[in-house]
Amino acid sequence: MAEEFDVVVVGAGPAGSAAALVLARAGKSVCLLERGPFPGSKNMYGGVIYPRILDGLIPNWWEEAPVQRWVTRRATMVLTGTQSLTVDYRTEAWGRPPYNGATAYRPDFDAWLAGKAVEAGAVLACETTATGLLGAPGKGGIRGVRTDRPGGEIGARLVIACDGVNSLLAKEAGIYGKADPHHFTLGAKETLALPARVIEERFGLAEHEGADFEIVGCTEGVAGGGFLYTNRETVSVGVVLHLPELAASKKRPEEIIASMKANPVIAPLVAGGELVEYSAHLIPEGGWVMLPGLVADGMLVAGDAAALCLAAGIWLEGVNFAIGSGMAAGETALEALDSGNVSAPGLAGYRKRLEGNFVLADHRKLRRAPHLMLSDRVQHRYPQMICNLTEAMFTVTNPEPKKGILAHTRIEARRAGVRLGQLARDTASALRTYG
Amino acid sequence: MTGPGPMRESFEDRMATVEFRVAPTAHITVDGDSCRGCSTKACVTACPANLFVPTADGGILFNYEQCFECGTCYLVCDTEGAISWSYPEGGHGVVFLRS
Amino acid sequence: MAPTDPGPGPVLVARKWVDRRPTVDLLTGEVSTDPRSSGASEADEAALEWGLRLAGVWGVGVLAVTAGPPDAEAVLRPALAAGAGGAVRIDLTSPPGHLAGGAPSSRAVASALALVARTAGSRMVLCGDLSLDRGSGAVPAFLAGELGAAQGLGLVSLAPDPDRPGHLGAWRRLDGGRREELALAPPWVCSVEGGTARLRRAELAGVLAAGRAPVEVVTAETSGPAPPHPARTGPGRPRTHLLTGPDPTADARHRILALTGALVERTPPLTLTLGPGEGADRILEALRAWGELPGEEFP
Ligand SMILES: Cc1cc2nc3c(=O)[nH]c(=O)nc-3n(C[C@H](O)[C@H](O)[C@H](O)COP(=O)(O)OP(=O)(O)OC[C@H]3O[C@@H](n4cnc5c(N)ncnc54)[C@H](O)[C@@H]3O)c2cc1C
Ligand code: SF4
Ligand code: SF4
Repeated sequence: MAEEFDVVVVGAGPAGSAAALVLARAGKSVCLLERGPFPGSKNMYGGVIYPRILDGLIPNWWEEAPVQRWVTRRATMVLTGTQSLTVDYRTEAWGRPPYNGATAYRPDFDAWLAGKAVEAGAVLACETTATGLLGAPGKGGIRGVRTDRPGGEIGARLVIACDGVNSLLAKEAGIYGKADPHHFTLGAKETLALPARVIEERFGLAEHEGADFEIVGCTEGVAGGGFLYTNRETVSVGVVLHLPELAASKKRPEEIIASMKANPVIAPLVAGGELVEYSAHLIPEGGWVMLPGLVADGMLVAGDAAALCLAAGIWLEGVNFAIGSGMAAGETALEALDSGNVSAPGLAGYRKRLEGNFVLADHRKLRRAPHLMLSDRVQHRYPQMICNLTEAMFTVTNPEPKKGILAHTRIEARRAGVRLGQLARDTASALRTYG
Repeated sequence: MTGPGPMRESFEDRMATVEFRVAPTAHITVDGDSCRGCSTKACVTACPANLFVPTADGGILFNYEQCFECGTCYLVCDTEGAISWSYPEGGHGVVFLRS
Repeated sequence: MAPTDPGPGPVLVARKWVDRRPTVDLLTGEVSTDPRSSGASEADEAALEWGLRLAGVWGVGVLAVTAGPPDAEAVLRPALAAGAGGAVRIDLTSPPGHLAGGAPSSRAVASALALVARTAGSRMVLCGDLSLDRGSGAVPAFLAGELGAAQGLGLVSLAPDPDRPGHLGAWRRLDGGRREELALAPPWVCSVEGGTARLRRAELAGVLAAGRAPVEVVTAETSGPAPPHPARTGPGRPRTHLLTGPDPTADARHRILALTGALVERTPPLTLTLGPGEGADRILEALRAWGELPGEEFP
């Protein structure tokens, strides 16, 4: 055994670093394991972090967090090959402390957050992959992890698994059943270099301001969506694709990105951008439905490893959920260590904590969203219908008089193959989900 | 600025923008025999790094070196035992800098 | 009676912190680097592994040293984790007038390294053969000069003599697939090629301890402003010479003969067998005679 710690945290993503920070601050001995050469080196995402969750943990985080731009413009676009409808919101308030969302590169952000845990006293070991658990639930509980280094066993009273979407440790502990591809999407993105001035002109931004575009109907018929975010001197453009549909479509991810970039609405925004990094990563999209058990004897699971990423249509938030659940795991671990009960029942406070804050409250509220968003109608029929409806409304067909919106809706729904009853049901379900 | 329209680069150029610290041993192995009976060949198009190459005899040629370590392949593959999947030795594999 | 042999001291392993994937602006030639893709080159990794092997055989310690900014400690921690007993970072302060972004000269680095070697009582130094960024391989040579040590540069294999600490056989490539075998006794400075040894995977306990281990910092002054990096932007071109054409009044046959140089009197090629010092002098003399050293740019 290389060493004994109070807690070993596996994975220095946002969940792991937040957990390690909470524990190290409270004076516990913490080992933070990361398989990459530095925290964040393995992590890609779309591009916007909502860091308000850090307010309590790192006061004035905005003065030091490695941020690219502050998001002051958020748009949702519905595209068909030839039409587009955009809801575009801008506010200057999001460009001032305490801010709302920020674009950031994960290799910067995750390294910064892990640095905070190290400053607080956590021992960070990079280039070290946890390969398995010491002990097992039931049989005396989990007592540490095995790593791929010589002499690589680390003992700990508690293990916090923050090892990301593939959750190899949670699977080994039996917390997480066999993964179902229907609950995952593949994100693939291009980081394209453009001069800051060009980005600001094209997106109508002031210096330091950023834009966040979510795009529906741009994925060549594969369920999913697209995104476009502005960094200081790059834009991130990519797609999120439902795995079974991607596989069945026989389309390649980078070709779907290319076709989205070629869309006449997107093309002028990304034109001339030079590819500086291509990346891909999975997203757990099941939400509430695939939520695993969150604890085992001697172990807590947080972040993507517990499928706590919120992927509900126009929301794609994972980093804040990872930090929120990592903090809750850290606090629960503190309690359990102090009371001396690290068994699964002793860790039950974890779920209560998550239910008491946004992490599980948002998941429960939006529990129908992933299903609704990936449904055939939302993915394939509604974008066309909504664009046609808008076009019909604004097309002046004199000498014929204008039709009412209901009449247009009836016509366009029929053209798109949507039954009105179904439309009403989906609207009600959307209201229930998001309302 | 060059004119409108997307820039198209070759797939090799695309992958050359990513740093891979190649490990001495493969972290993913594919059992060619299982693949010969597979009709979907789902991995071939879904793998974002394009690492699964179908061979003339219906098998699969796999190279682990430029892998994103994402997990798509084992999730889309329905043949039990065709893919054995893990992470590369610590410190190796993909390194993102601007993602 | 002779004083007791102080022994060869620890093996000093010099490691340079460089960006392994720098980006070069194709228009300006400007090189930008990123600390996160920076680390030790493959040759420096091999040098560390050889150092650890030699030290293991002779039962001596390994001291890892780098010259660079605080971020450069990133190449010392893995050395500590893999088994080095100590680590020193040389903080090279720039004298006034030092060009921003200019790296210290090879000579300045070598003299700082020599200082550390002397302080540590080390008479054995291992380096990678070429650094990735400047790549002239001059540091080990300058260092050997400073220390008055034997040099084995560009080695591919080392074989320690288990009975005589500090003594080893070493091999390096020569042209035409031949090898040269060297027998070295301390003090020596050796540089090894990349890929000649794969750095061992550090034990977990070593990694955990290395994160907390102290790194000694010494300051040294660079001897003068070094050329910025890259030293030269734009393509390298040979000097131009004015060539006079053949006498235009001569007939065609003579003009062609003059152009080809056939039948013209010239200095015949010369084969000399000289010692290294004399050889160098003779080369300089010839270059000077041909007008290749107008400003005497070389020391
Ligand atoms: C395409 C895409 C777009 C997204 N867009 C957004 C967005 O705009 N905003 C947002 O908030 N979220 C977004 N997300 C979600 C967000 O990225 C995740 O929810 C978040 O990263 C989860 O954090 P985590 O700490 O749980 O896991 P991760 O960030 O995945 O971190 C896990 C860490 O564990 C390490 N690790 C894994 N296994 C081991 C092991 N065995 N041993 C040692 N270390 C290990 C990994 O190297 C990694 O550093 C997006 C995700 C994707 C894929
Ligand atoms: S890896 Fe799986 S999906 Fe791919 S060819 Fe083999 S069996 Fe089929
Ligand atoms: S893990 Fe991802 S990138 Fe690697 S082979 Fe599988 S699908 Fe391809």
